[in-house]
Amino acid sequence: MNRTRPEMLHCLNATGNLAAATSREMSVLERQRAVLKWHQEQLKRRQQRHFDDLNVFSAPLLAQNINGLIDDDGSGLNEILTRPTGMETGRPDFGSKSGVILDLDHSAGHVNASSGYCLNFAISGNINFPPTVVAAATQVNTAVGAEAKVREPTTSERLSVTTGRQSSKKRKAEKSLPSEVDEEEDSIVKKIRGCADEEEPTNSDQHQNSNKNNWNNNSSKNKESNGDKSNREASSCTSKGNSKASAVQKPDYVHVRARRGQATDSHSLAERIRREKISERMKYLQELVPGCNKITGKSGMLDEIINYVQSLQRQVEYLSMKLAALNPSVDVNINDLFAKEVSPACLASYLPTMGVSPEMASQSYLEYNPVETMGQVCVSEGVNLVDASLRRSMSPPVSIPETLLHSSCFNQIHNSLPWELDLQSLFSMEFQQERPINCSLADLCWPY
Amino acid sequence: MRSPSSLKKEFLTKWVVGLRAWSSSSKEMGLLERKKAIKLSADVAMAAATNGTTIWSHTLINNASKDPNSKHMVQSILTSARARDQSNEPSKFPLLSPPTRCARNRVRSKKVLRKARINYIQRCSRRSAASLIAKTLVKKRTQVLKGLVPGGECMDESCLIKETLDYMISLRAQVLIMQHIAKVMELFNSK
Repeated sequence: MNRTRPEMLHCLNATGNLAAATSREMSVLERQRAVLKWHQEQLKRRQQRHFDDLNVFSAPLLAQNINGLIDDDGSGLNEILTRPTGMETGRPDFGSKSGVILDLDHSAGHVNASSGYCLNFAISGNINFPPTVVAAATQVNTAVGAEAKVREPTTSERLSVTTGRQSSKKRKAEKSLPSEVDEEEDSIVKKIRGCADEEEPTNSDQHQNSNKNNWNNNSSKNKESNGDKSNREASSCTSKGNSKASAVQKPDYVHVRARRGQATDSHSLAERIRREKISERMKYLQELVPGCNKITGKSGMLDEIINYVQSLQRQVEYLSMKLAALNPSVDVNINDLFAKEVSPACLASYLPTMGVSPEMASQSYLEYNPVETMGQVCVSEGVNLVDASLRRSMSPPVSIPETLLHSSCFNQIHNSLPWELDLQSLFSMEFQQERPINCSLADLCWPY
Repeated sequence: MRSPSSLKKEFLTKWVVGLRAWSSSSKEMGLLERKKAIKLSADVAMAAATNGTTIWSHTLINNASKDPNSKHMVQSILTSARARDQSNEPSKFPLLSPPTRCARNRVRSKKVLRKARINYIQRCSRRSAASLIAKTLVKKRTQVLKGLVPGGECMDESCLIKETLDYMISLRAQVLIMQHIAKVMELFNSK
């Protein structure tokens, strides 16, 4: 433990010495102190196996710092690199990683990627986090603008192989690395939380994100109640905290909370997200479709939805047929219709003749009003109403018999009562007329 | 979410535009043709009155624009929208070809699905028959729903439900407006 500190200091001092701007120097010192403090606490907690959150703060900052510094002078990097290898001799699990780092450095020659690993080793030290922190650090590097994107998956995969302690969530985090570009601190915290082992849940507050607070409370609760594997939790940043990040990133990186006693496999998590989405939308549908309040279950709801959509479509068909029958020319001059003839008095007189109840009358009257205002707003032009009525009066014998063919079909349609009354009143006088019955027409029009 | 009255207004104006486009063809149309023209223009107007983010609206408009008879009508509806709303984006409905791959994928994957299904049933023989029946029911009904909603073939389940929601709302608005127009026409005719 004592060995690490001077080396850490040296490492950080080296970076501090390399700093060009004074402003950066100051922040470096601050950060160094923060990192040191963290490290001390870290070592203190090692017995209790708790993980502090300071590293989260320092990780991105330090990464940026290192990146910035290394851009100026590459010599410092070598110093930094050599430090961790000396540091970690006491820790067997990092031995392989240092080898990996050296490999990286030699093969890739990418300063930024290796600096990320250095960062990892300098800070995280003894924890089982390394792959994820590395992933996070590398992700930070990408966010800062490094070119290590291509390397990341391969190197992180290598690390995963060496450590041999990969959960499905860690894999998930690594996979999503290339997609995340923004909000490094948020995302790092998320990832680290997402890969938290059940033995070391983070329990400090994250003032940056209130959602993380919830997660913390939950994790501590779970830790107390059940230290079992079933309590392993993924990061649970909801859309509120994630909205900024997700707006920039692809939307397919979703954070889900694994509940107690439920499978935490990535597939089942995705499955659960999907199911929840679907059930939420089914609830909306339930509100829309009339008479679906009592129905529970997907198949029943789907049945109702299908019936409703079919009935709506049939209504459209029927109405279009009706309009075609009423108007021999397709050109409907609605403006004139509204502007001239139709008045509330007409409507009021019309509706009682139909035998419609007063409730329906008021309802339809109210519905008519917006339509009338629309007509007044539109500019009136074109064909005169009188001409239209003349044309109509000349052609009724042609059009009406055809429509009568469908009067028998109308009864079968799932229609409301006023429509049937409509039809009967309209065509009651024509029923006595002789008409050629052509069943094929009916079949054409009503394929359902 | 748009207000329903604005949706209705837009639909009405676009429908009138579409209907006027038919009259310019100067063709004597029988009842059925007229009915088809009215229905088509209503559907296209409805699709154009939406925000243009849904799949069904795009499918409707694309299908309508394929037919040479109705193409000019669709054009007129879309151009009128553009002329009126300068602030909105000019082309909410670019006339592109709908995805044809999905139908083929579905046909192909049916065989795969059947085999997977058999395997699944063999493996999960412990599971109750009720859940299997429920699943088949749900599946059949989603297939029917996919046939109902325009462009539904190429959607997954959650997307399908969202589209159905939107489609239902616009269908309802369409039906309401057409009912009103029909009533007014009747009133006018009865005079």
